[in-house]
Amino acid sequence: MTEKQDDGLALSHLRVLDLTEDGCMLGGKLLADMGADVIKIEPPGGSASRIPPYYKDEVMPEKSLFWFSYNTNKRGITLNLREKEGQDIFKKLAASADIILESLGLGFLDSMKLGYQDICKVNPDIIYASITPFGQSGPKAHYIGSDLTAVASSGFLNACGDPDRAPIWIGFPQSSQYSGCEAAIGAMTAYWYRLNTGEGQFVDVSMQEANMSANMNTLQMWDVNKVEFNRVGAFSYVAATGVKQPIYFKCKDGFVMILALGGNPPYVPSSTNLVKWMDEEGMAPDWLKNLNWEVDYNAAILKQALADKVGKAIEAFTLTKTKEELYNIGSFERQILIASVSTTQDITEDIQLAARNFWTVINHPELSEDIPYCGQFAPMTESPVQFKIRAPLIGEHNREILKTLGLSEEKITKLQQKGII
Amino acid sequence: MTKKVFEGIKVAEFSWVVVGPSTSRYLADHGATVVKIESHKRLDTNRINGPFVNSTPTPDGSMFFGKHNPNKYSVSIDLRNPQGKEIAWKLIKWADIVTESFSPGTMEKLGLGYEEVKKVRPDVIYLSSSMQGRGGPHSSYAGYGQNAVNFCGLTEVSGWSDRLPSPPYGACSDYISCRFAAFAILAALVHRRRTGKGQYIDQSQFESTIQFMAPPIMDYQVNNRIMTRNGNRLPIAAPHGAFKCRGNDRWVAISVMDETQWKKFCQIIGSPELANNDKFATLTERKKNEDELEKIVTGWTLRHKTEDIEQLLQNEGIPANVVEKPSDIYNDPQIAHRKYFTPLHHPFMGNQKFEAQACFILSKTPRLLDKPSPCIGEHNEYVFKEFLKMTDDEIAEHIIDGSITTEFTEKIISTF
Repeated sequence: MTEKQDDGLALSHLRVLDLTEDGCMLGGKLLADMGADVIKIEPPGGSASRIPPYYKDEVMPEKSLFWFSYNTNKRGITLNLREKEGQDIFKKLAASADIILESLGLGFLDSMKLGYQDICKVNPDIIYASITPFGQSGPKAHYIGSDLTAVASSGFLNACGDPDRAPIWIGFPQSSQYSGCEAAIGAMTAYWYRLNTGEGQFVDVSMQEANMSANMNTLQMWDVNKVEFNRVGAFSYVAATGVKQPIYFKCKDGFVMILALGGNPPYVPSSTNLVKWMDEEGMAPDWLKNLNWEVDYNAAILKQALADKVGKAIEAFTLTKTKEELYNIGSFERQILIASVSTTQDITEDIQLAARNFWTVINHPELSEDIPYCGQFAPMTESPVQFKIRAPLIGEHNREILKTLGLSEEKITKLQQKGII
Repeated sequence: MTKKVFEGIKVAEFSWVVVGPSTSRYLADHGATVVKIESHKRLDTNRINGPFVNSTPTPDGSMFFGKHNPNKYSVSIDLRNPQGKEIAWKLIKWADIVTESFSPGTMEKLGLGYEEVKKVRPDVIYLSSSMQGRGGPHSSYAGYGQNAVNFCGLTEVSGWSDRLPSPPYGACSDYISCRFAAFAILAALVHRRRTGKGQYIDQSQFESTIQFMAPPIMDYQVNNRIMTRNGNRLPIAAPHGAFKCRGNDRWVAISVMDETQWKKFCQIIGSPELANNDKFATLTERKKNEDELEKIVTGWTLRHKTEDIEQLLQNEGIPANVVEKPSDIYNDPQIAHRKYFTPLHHPFMGNQKFEAQACFILSKTPRLLDKPSPCIGEHNEYVFKEFLKMTDDEIAEHIIDGSITTEFTEKIISTF
């Protein structure tokens, strides 16, 4: 394959083959956004990750907004890896690639003779990252998983939800996205090692682990003090006393979170500021004005009855205001630890994101439209993300890429007829 | 011994709480040298939050701090003291990477902002991580991940459609943001190696976290549809949820992802006729009748232990897993197999299990935790002498003038 042109982006000298699905595709996107030439490989007919939501609700693989989101800056080919000819083409591509990312399930690519050991024969320095539900070996390695079962296996599902109903996940799947990020970080770590030693290696990502750090401190609560964390829904839970402090409050048009806690800074001044604001609007009862947040509302001695009483008083106040009023005035004028429970509409209209020019638009010629996208994940001064191309159509770069392998037009047409591409 | 991946890479970590410290772990767990710059006068929030060993709040006894900081050195200096700043500069000159996560403007006020640092170290990689980034009307927003999960849209989509939202526990925006920050730093390292240039990374945790919500955000921007919460359901699968099992608050997560799995599932639960029942024969029908479907599934799961269901379904190739509690995690043979926790002896906390941050194992250079989280200022002498080549006399002077801090001034009351 011809050498890639250097366009000054951080990773523009790297070529990546991306065989991931679902949110795991985010890993390849990170590399692509930093300049790597990422080739997304789909089965003929299109990837199973061309899922809802769809552009204007037109249920078509070429209009999957999910697909759009995770495949910007990638090129795409179709390849039937179950057929010998497809496998041969993959190996040829792999011979000149730096990194392979895949999430096709434990042993699948091995069974196609395209596993790490097989690829090493054509490219001994390859960096090969596999995402599986539980990693490559161990008693549960053969398990199959979903995003939800991954959250369950990590302990994080147990920590979320109301106590009287099932534990719940974050309604938009997160585990595969964490895993995709881990694969990208793992591949980059391996790449640094290759820069120093010339050697590639295998990157074994576990989806179970990828979701685990989000438990924050619940695992350690058990390990250190044998306190089993029980989910508490929209409250701040004091493990030592079992008291649930209300921190979510209804307002005119939705919900806000206010860290109405005591004991330490920064909670004490924040809660004091809140009561002051309530008082100015005639909504702070005398008992609340006299409450000593440092001493009386200290988690170590706080009783449930007082926590409930405080919660009710605050909600009576928040119900008189909108999310935006509470967030903007509370956070920025009154130094209260408050956050709006934002919807996707609120995020879209957020003035801070607009001020930082967060959104980017990418042209979709087939739709005759520019579509807005999430912008840079972390702006960098010297090697910023550049959004160049929208996600690939099914087989869009088949000819372009196969030709660089020396395949003739006729051969490519034949492969197409046979369903290899 | 194999060479460590990031051996020789040096990080001066001014950042605290979760995002910055978790970011540098990706480097530390693969051999980088990370020095935390702390102060007895203003403790890392993680040091004053539990769980504490023996349930006794003390700055060196928090395993919440412990989780985020193994494999690092700690020095304690007062950045507001000019002589303390002198040491900070020595560390900055020593480092390849500088990280900080104070409110925007804090490092600049201390004279340690990127523009100042760049003059002395043009090739430095400098990460600022804040809630909402530099510039813009909300730049000054101060808060924790517990705030951010809300304005990043994660809370709104979590919970039951008939109730107020159930926020995801804790601060998962922090654990999302640290991944993007780590990746950005690695890209910057490669860029520096190729061009000799350092750079500034201005992370807004808001902008990083909503990447994990990109499709629903696009669904609003293109289709005007606002995503809200719907329990554990997923539009492309049914049944899909956490179902109650025998025992006290025991649950199993089940995802039936296609028609083959659905037919097998019906057999396993002893109701093969369901697969042909008009109400459940296709995904479209199952989605329409999902309430009823979930009642049927629960009728079965309630009679069994969660571990048994996991086995039964996994044997037939259907995704299922115990909803693991913290106690289950520490008994999970898979977690043990991959050595996700590393037992290490901590000078104050005794033997503790430290959690990995990298969730991948490299075949030639696996992640390695070989130092417990540091006590505050534990490595003052080591770092100042070995890394900064300071003399005993110099160090003594800094202790006398208070720029190396040695005593706590804060009263510690645990908030959780």
